[in-house]
Amino acid sequence: MFAGILFGPWIAVGALVRQRDTFARDQATAFALERSELERKALDARFRLLQAQVEPHFLFNTLANVQALVDAGAPQASKVLTSLIAYLRAAVPRLHETTTTLRQELELVRAYLEVMHMRMPDRLVFSMHSDPGMLELQCPPMTLLTLVENAVRHGIDPSETGGSIDIDLKLASGRCLASVTDTGVGLRATGTGLGTGLAALRERLQLAFGSEAQLRVSEIVPHGVRAELSFPARKTPA
Amino acid sequence: MQPAPTALIAEDEPLLRESLERQLTEAWPELTVVARARNGREAIDQFDRMHPSVCFLDVHMPGVTGIEAARHIGHRAHLVFVTAFDQYAVQAFAQGVLDYLVKPVDAARLAQTVARLQERLRDATAAVNTDALLLKLAAALERREAPAPLRWIRASVGQTVTLIPVEQIDFLRAEEKYTVVAWRDDSSEQREAVIRTPLKELAAQLDAAQFAQVHRSVVVNLSSIARVVRRPNETADSHLKGRGEVLPVSRSFLHLFRQM
Repeated sequence: MFAGILFGPWIAVGALVRQRDTFARDQATAFALERSELERKALDARFRLLQAQVEPHFLFNTLANVQALVDAGAPQASKVLTSLIAYLRAAVPRLHETTTTLRQELELVRAYLEVMHMRMPDRLVFSMHSDPGMLELQCPPMTLLTLVENAVRHGIDPSETGGSIDIDLKLASGRCLASVTDTGVGLRATGTGLGTGLAALRERLQLAFGSEAQLRVSEIVPHGVRAELSFPARKTPA
Repeated sequence: MQPAPTALIAEDEPLLRESLERQLTEAWPELTVVARARNGREAIDQFDRMHPSVCFLDVHMPGVTGIEAARHIGHRAHLVFVTAFDQYAVQAFAQGVLDYLVKPVDAARLAQTVARLQERLRDATAAVNTDALLLKLAAALERREAPAPLRWIRASVGQTVTLIPVEQIDFLRAEEKYTVVAWRDDSSEQREAVIRTPLKELAAQLDAAQFAQVHRSVVVNLSSIARVVRRPNETADSHLKGRGEVLPVSRSFLHLFRQM
């Protein structure tokens, strides 16, 4: 009884100390994991952008269209080739560039959409709009393009009747608000999800803006998808 | 005297549809293109209405694909599939006797196809497109769309990222929020790494023929198991080759190790 009163508290304190030690160790492991995880993610995202290839299916179908135009002596052949070259130049990974401007990104998107419009003239219409003064703002490479490619691949292409893609850039309280809206088949119809393209984009945004960038994908009625992206409006360093 | 040959062209891209028709006019002047379709559904409609003797079907079309349209047409016409670059589809075609063209369509290749079709029409050979072949082809195309099983697990310790080949993994064990990966390095040394991806997520990406979930928190490489010893209460222990760990096998997974 006496011994109990004497030693009891010490045993309890000892247990507490041990518990705190374990807790601290767990915390340290968790932090170490967190840090190495971030480093790995940064590496991964860079790696994946480098690996980002032009899909052979896209390339050969497009080239077949260009050949058809050339064979038919159609005057728009040269214009389509120009768009294709612009798209390829941007889609082939650029090693040193970690940011581009919205102007460059929009040119890339336009080149891609013009190529796709040639291929599906009866199924794709598109529009692009941006608030004044936005074109020189920073934009991580292939950000809008990824969203637009998704809209074509998962929205318009699987649809017999096709639809429209609208790209809208707004500037509001120091932030860029970009939205890509398509009236294609929607998320459920394909069932494939938006897959690796969007996951990789999320990683790239995280690297460029940390937690300051948000990407939201939602379904619209009667059918289609809207991707909304918000990130800090920053001028590119001159 | 054979009736004049007729054709259907199904292709969702108008420029390519027109271009193939133009190429066919040159390579096969007697052929009349009687039907043009922008997707598989239209191809089926047009086929039922016009009964062409030859069908050129683009494999990838919105809605109903070329393969699905082909299954509807069955033996009633000679089929030629048209595809852009499509490694798996082309492999599947090359193994079968189905005829195919790759976009952009090469004139010499088209001439060969035309010669073969003319011969079949002249000899009144039955169309070769069997349903079994088409099913196989559809499966090959689906496989292309399904993600390949995981080949490496990336684990990092400090600044180093180790790529662990999945064949070298003995087992994976869930521990709270983490997953412990027990594997052997190139010198067969037993190693462990802790990663953050939950076991459930990893298990879904592993080759099901190689890895089995034997317990709520354990996934094991089947080739690492030496023996499984039954225990009371319909559970068991699995012992690993050259490793001390004994892994639990719970009742619901015991059927994996029933005697043959």
